Amino acid sequence: MGSTRNNLIVLGLVVVLLGVAAYLIFLRQPVTESTQLGLDLQGGVSAQLEGSQTGGGNVSREEMEQASDLIRQRIDRLGVAEPDVRVQGTDQIVVQIPGVENPDEVIDIIGRTAQLGFYQVLATDGAPNTPAEEVSSVEDELREDLQDDQEYEPGETKILFENSPPIQGGGTDVFGYIVRQQPDLTGEALQQNGANVEFDQSNQRVVSLQLTGEGGDQMAELTQEMINDATVSGEPALLAIALDEDIQSAPQVQDVLADQISISNSGLPEGLPEDEARQLETVLNTGALPVNMEIISQTEVGPTLGLSSLRSGLLAALVGFALVLALLAIIYRALGLVAALALLVYAFLMWGIVVAVPVTMTLPGIAGIVLSIGVAADANVVIFERIKEEVRRGRTSRAAIQAGYDRGFRAILDGNVTTLITAFILFALSTGSVRGFAVLLVIGVVLSMFTAVVVTRALLGLLSGRGVQLSPAMMGVSKRGISEQETAG
Amino acid sequence: MFPSVDFVGNWRRWFVISGVLLALGILAMLFGRLDLGIDFQGGAQFTATGAERQLSEDDVTAALPPGIAEESVVTTLGNNGYEVRTPVLSDAESEEVADALSEALGAEVSATSVSPAFGEQLRNQALQAVAAALLIIVAFISVRFEFSFAIAAMAALVHDVLLTVGFYAVFGREVSLVTVVAVLTVLGYSLYDTIIIFDRIRENAPTLGYNRRRFDEMVNVSIRQVIRRSIYTSVFTLIPVTALLIFGESTLSDFAFALLVGILAGAYSSIFIAPQTLALYKAWRAGSVRRAPSSA
Repeated sequence: MGSTRNNLIVLGLVVVLLGVAAYLIFLRQPVTESTQLGLDLQGGVSAQLEGSQTGGGNVSREEMEQASDLIRQRIDRLGVAEPDVRVQGTDQIVVQIPGVENPDEVIDIIGRTAQLGFYQVLATDGAPNTPAEEVSSVEDELREDLQDDQEYEPGETKILFENSPPIQGGGTDVFGYIVRQQPDLTGEALQQNGANVEFDQSNQRVVSLQLTGEGGDQMAELTQEMINDATVSGEPALLAIALDEDIQSAPQVQDVLADQISISNSGLPEGLPEDEARQLETVLNTGALPVNMEIISQTEVGPTLGLSSLRSGLLAALVGFALVLALLAIIYRALGLVAALALLVYAFLMWGIVVAVPVTMTLPGIAGIVLSIGVAADANVVIFERIKEEVRRGRTSRAAIQAGYDRGFRAILDGNVTTLITAFILFALSTGSVRGFAVLLVIGVVLSMFTAVVVTRALLGLLSGRGVQLSPAMMGVSKRGISEQETAG
Repeated sequence: MFPSVDFVGNWRRWFVISGVLLALGILAMLFGRLDLGIDFQGGAQFTATGAERQLSEDDVTAALPPGIAEESVVTTLGNNGYEVRTPVLSDAESEEVADALSEALGAEVSATSVSPAFGEQLRNQALQAVAAALLIIVAFISVRFEFSFAIAAMAALVHDVLLTVGFYAVFGREVSLVTVVAVLTVLGYSLYDTIIIFDRIRENAPTLGYNRRRFDEMVNVSIRQVIRRSIYTSVFTLIPVTALLIFGESTLSDFAFALLVGILAGAYSSIFIAPQTLALYKAWRAGSVRRAPSSA
């Protein structure tokens, strides 16, 4: 059963570890700030984005890193606290922002490729005052009509749409435009930090775009050509300004434009709505993402939902923990008390590790910890059942304890290795909160082997070394049990 | 414990009990009762908490924007919570739904959305994870024990997974990513139980050659020696899991439900399925080995 000195070393180590855990949890910072809570427990927004090339090619690692930097810059400009933006796998980005008040705005801003494009409008058709639920069917009708237009050539041209509030009446004005496949001028023409929210002469909010010298020359060339075309055809010359294939506005070009141009919305008395203008400014100034980004999943958790999840999770963990402790003591008496003590040590060290790593606590994480309490108790059940069996066979308590640990340990090790295998598979094949669960399960299994096997053994060894002899009754074995086994065996 | 029960001899009885439960679950799945959540097929889910006004599920549906309401499923959560599931929505539509809910209920609305492509990716990942887990575990048991033990453990595991998923279908619970995590956890856990029994069989196995009557009786003895431990262990794990089921909300309670069914199935299969499969497989092998030379 190991010498007294070894047992004292083990218990000394436990005391030191407990001290370190207590420092990390309570003293290093206020206890309320010690544990990192996941978004599902404190509220916030998380989104997973997938990058793709327009042509369908592979995205490179650098492009993803660059995209995640740009997304971080965009969120920083919104002034939200501590966004966590990470590249995941080969083509995904995970964005997590705790405690946001305007989740929709954040979601709008992060996924935009923000590819700015200026197009000469070749033909247009529109349907004013469309009710909201009919917008997509109206777009389909417009698309069919425009495809019959003589300007439309598949591969050479494409059809883009503009949805804007009408000048008069309700609903949405829907316009479809035939434009060339590639923009006549792209966002590269924009000067650095060249987008600004401003008010025009009629006091409407606009986003003004300051072009570079070269960009201004190209714009002048383009608009000159458009005016020439218009005089020939007699149709008004429209310049479509698109962001990610959505037309923002398509003003009529009266004169040759140079290096100053603006995105406006004449339909509303105030011009562009304030938040929309601010978003445009942000995405245009941080620049376009190098790849197309699509939001493949997003989660918004309100602070109340998070708090109530946290409360219910903690309540479940505490109730389960208390019941397990009580049951251990009832079934195994003195042995059970030792195991319960070890389980308390386990829980406290577990908390210490969670704070030290730090592991972000999520709902699945809480479930993992609760489950690991059962696993930790189970290791003791395996050993104690073996001890009781040996006692029933008539061994002395000392010899029975020795045999119980030796023989029980092999089964526990094999069993825990299988749990570790599943935890590693979970970790390798999953993402986000599931990973948190896997990490906590691994920590829990390893730690529980230490507390349930090593620590209880040292405690029991020390007890018997001090001359405390456990009677069969103190281990939960009845006299009847002993004789039963003798007659049966 | 249970000195008079012939665990191995009565294998037909134990298999029938499982078979009936499995058949129920599989029938439920065939009738399309398995409710794949948005994690696996894409869509949006809104959770309203702390509602000031208590509305019926129909009233909540009526409050949703037209066009979306018809395809939405509204369920109540606890006293003042609601959950709304819709097909895939655009950002604008999603905002409309959230606004409509918070206005109608006076509640805080949280939203989750998953694109169908991502749902498919998650589904494939989940299936891969379960398959990988099964293969690696078979390899591990073959190394630590022997191949016949791995076959028996595999039978027990497949039994547990099917039963858990089947019960999900019977009770119409939503299958989410959390369910897959729970199923994988059940795999590890149920295997733990099985290994404890196999460990004892390995310890008790005679070094002499195989004899069916002797081997079956030895398996019976081994089961009797560890059955108390199996019961206690399941109880010890089920306590915190039950606490999660009772006190935990939505995610935690789904997780706990899968674990509850899975752990019960695992405890049953480790006593009533795995050792019997081992004994039957051994008997079949012995029979085919004996027959092989005579027929050749």
